[in-house]
Amino acid sequence: MNLEPALEAFFAEADELLTRMEESLLGLESAPDDSELINDIFRAAHTIKGTAGVFGFDDVVRFTHEVESVLDRVRDGEIAVTPDVIGLFLRNKDHIGALVRAVAEKTDIDDAQRADGETQLAELRVLLGKPAAVPAATGLVAADKPAVGASAPDMESGSGNWHLSLRFGTDVLRGGMDPLSFLRYLRTLGDIVHLTTVIEALPNWLKLDPESCYLGFEIDFRSDASKAEIEGVFEFVRDECVLHIVPPHAQVSEYISVIRALPEDVTMLGEMLVASGALTRAELERGLALQAGAASAAVEPTAEGEQPAAAVAPPPLGEILVETGAVSPGVVDAALTRQKQVKDAKAQEARSLRIDADKLDQLIELVGELVVASAGVQNVAQMLAQSQLTEASEVLSRLVEEVRDQALSLRMVQIGATFQRFQRVVRDVSRDLGKDIELQISGADTELDKTVVERIGDPLMHLVRNSMDHGIEPTEVRIAAGKSARAKVMLNAYHEAGSIVIDVADDGGGLNRAKILRKAIERGLVPEENQLSDREIDRLIFEPGFSTADAVSNLSGRGVGMDVVRRDIEALRGTVEIDTEPGKGTRIRIRLPLTLAIIDGFRVGIDKASFVLPVDMIVECVELAGATRDAARIRGYLDMRGEVLPLLWLRQVFDIHSDAPPRRENVVVVQFGQTKAGIVVDHLMGEHQTVIRPLGKLFSSLRGVSGSTILGSGEIALILDVAGLMKMAVSGTTVSQAELAGSAG
Amino acid sequence: MNARNALALAVPDEDPDADQQEQYLTFRLGDESYALGLLSVKEIIEYGGVTQVPMMPGFVRGVINLRGRVVPVIDLAARLRSESAAVTRRTCIVIVEVENEGEAQDMGIIVDAVSQVVDIPPEAVEPGPSFGAKVRADFIAGMGKLDEGFVIMLDIDRVLSGEDMAAVNDMKAVA
Repeated sequence: MNLEPALEAFFAEADELLTRMEESLLGLESAPDDSELINDIFRAAHTIKGTAGVFGFDDVVRFTHEVESVLDRVRDGEIAVTPDVIGLFLRNKDHIGALVRAVAEKTDIDDAQRADGETQLAELRVLLGKPAAVPAATGLVAADKPAVGASAPDMESGSGNWHLSLRFGTDVLRGGMDPLSFLRYLRTLGDIVHLTTVIEALPNWLKLDPESCYLGFEIDFRSDASKAEIEGVFEFVRDECVLHIVPPHAQVSEYISVIRALPEDVTMLGEMLVASGALTRAELERGLALQAGAASAAVEPTAEGEQPAAAVAPPPLGEILVETGAVSPGVVDAALTRQKQVKDAKAQEARSLRIDADKLDQLIELVGELVVASAGVQNVAQMLAQSQLTEASEVLSRLVEEVRDQALSLRMVQIGATFQRFQRVVRDVSRDLGKDIELQISGADTELDKTVVERIGDPLMHLVRNSMDHGIEPTEVRIAAGKSARAKVMLNAYHEAGSIVIDVADDGGGLNRAKILRKAIERGLVPEENQLSDREIDRLIFEPGFSTADAVSNLSGRGVGMDVVRRDIEALRGTVEIDTEPGKGTRIRIRLPLTLAIIDGFRVGIDKASFVLPVDMIVECVELAGATRDAARIRGYLDMRGEVLPLLWLRQVFDIHSDAPPRRENVVVVQFGQTKAGIVVDHLMGEHQTVIRPLGKLFSSLRGVSGSTILGSGEIALILDVAGLMKMAVSGTTVSQAELAGSAG
Repeated sequence: MNARNALALAVPDEDPDADQQEQYLTFRLGDESYALGLLSVKEIIEYGGVTQVPMMPGFVRGVINLRGRVVPVIDLAARLRSESAAVTRRTCIVIVEVENEGEAQDMGIIVDAVSQVVDIPPEAVEPGPSFGAKVRADFIAGMGKLDEGFVIMLDIDRVLSGEDMAAVNDMKAVA
């Protein structure tokens, strides 16, 4: 039996739940009375415990159980929500995460973590008012017994037990679930008083499929758990099993209705209930007689067979119950409404689907091929100039474009989740530093490529920590400077001209340029006599081996931060800018491409070679001819309606030799950030969908080219990296200078 | 001609027969014969459709579209002996799979003409000359003794090692 898929689902879910738990906990800090949040946290812990129990991850269950117990008290208002309690829960959350991870990686948590876990358990027990010194080994037992034992005496009475009718679906085993483990887990909630195994569904031995589950159980269960909790035990097989839970001290009719709803022979089940002491024989007979009367008025029920009795159309159970006066119509209505709500919630959940990232990548890859193929068809259609074919290919390419956009949007995720993680970071770090810092998040719904989101986390972490550690002044200094004691770190994301911009800003002291310059000279990063502009000085912090922290803290200050940040971001074809004002704060602006897979490209040609520019970056195209062309050649810039537009001759930059000088030239005006420039090419060849294919390691040091694409004709065109080209243009037009400039900042 | 298919028929991938490891593809480059372990050869295609990549050292001829994949093409003559090969009717691109920092990568190498597949048993392999050869000593895995004379057996992973080539690339870029 392969449990892997189910396990993976568990790990993914646990991850999500823990994240949600953390979010809610942090939310609780500002709104300690919000019962919704407390419920959320409780639910998260409970689900993790439940699922872990099903898989038999005892460590997780043991720890989470304690957490849950305390949470339960908090929910009941018996324990006040103080910052200390929240802090403890946050640590608990981390520990649960560590335990789950350990299970996922099939390793053990290390001793330090184990010790930490025990300390946390002790603290939790103190909150529960239990002796803290419960030996760890008996934790599970000790944790459960008091809960049940305390209220046990008044549960002794005859039918004071829960009655569970459980029929597992035939596919339960194939789904990777072991019925036994659910029962085992059920026992953590209370005692199984009586259990009858229902084997009626077992077919003839010859027909028996060993991979199918034919078993059912009738269980009498003593526990003070709520119905929801008991139901929760079976959460993982809820869709695949038939489960009826009859509460303690229930009406006989309820038992009867359960009996009717189950596939097995009515009398047999009745006998079981009598045997288990849930019903007396008299009660049973009275209930059965009532129902039989009603049923005979409809169709004769086939008592045996696999079909659920409900399918044989007896009067709805609700009706019988109402007729016998067991329940008032209102109650039935309420129950029905409740049922509907549950269904609606289910429908909501089903609307989002978990997909294997690899599958998604394959899809994107295929869509990429499709785009190339469709471009090929369009080429041929244009060549043949047959109107019907052209029309058909137009329709095709429009559809392909839509498919492409949709496929790409599958990869787009909101950056919110990444930002949200920083709430905790800011909270913890600000405590460590003794500064009062709040994190402001905006633009959390900005979407960007999943790969980018995954890889932007680390650089952001560096930046946020740096802001808090170096950027924000100690509280006394802030107050002395007339600023509010509470400092702000801001994370903001938005779209701009085909790229996504992420700002990490703080309202701290800004960069200390004098200090930076002094350090840089000390470390030999810049020659002493050099006159640097403010901007150049600011950029020095991105140099390898640069750090201005007077004391090395465990957060930052080892000088490995900022240059790594720059490298990470550049690896994503992004750029990083810094903007600082002494006394007011610093803003670091990261600019990233929206997607790494497919872009709308604009094809240009030089001689026979073609190149592709991202359309998003193109402002306009103008012809370069006559006197303007001669003037532009000499001056190196163009007068664009009164604006100076620096020009970049791609032919020269790329050192393309051709026998005849081009008869015509065109300027493609591109914009990157605040800078505009003109790229001079021979021909303009129009817009094409472009699937980006990386050029590989061999070309990793190549600047000005970000990748390649396969054209409809099968030829390869290089995709120009506008940012890289501009950098080269700013610092001179040869590669070597660009290289040097790149390494000098 | 698809050497890879032929290979797949002859021997299962996961357990390469010892015989296969002694098989080599020989080809000509200028006036010299070279040999390449057959297991690293994926296919041989006609020369053509190479897109130049600017600002790269001379031995990087460009990239080709190999059934939808972009594969770099190396001018082997330029890489080995710093002389560029002229394209003739018999010029071929040999697609080889090289191991690069643990990653398998396909690359094309330009050769003047593909000769044949030969068996070179280990006892027929002489160590390469420590000096004197036109080819860098560390590119030579050995000298194979054939009836018609020696062939230079290339250590193709070393020849096409990305790190080494990138280093050359930087040098050229700065120079």
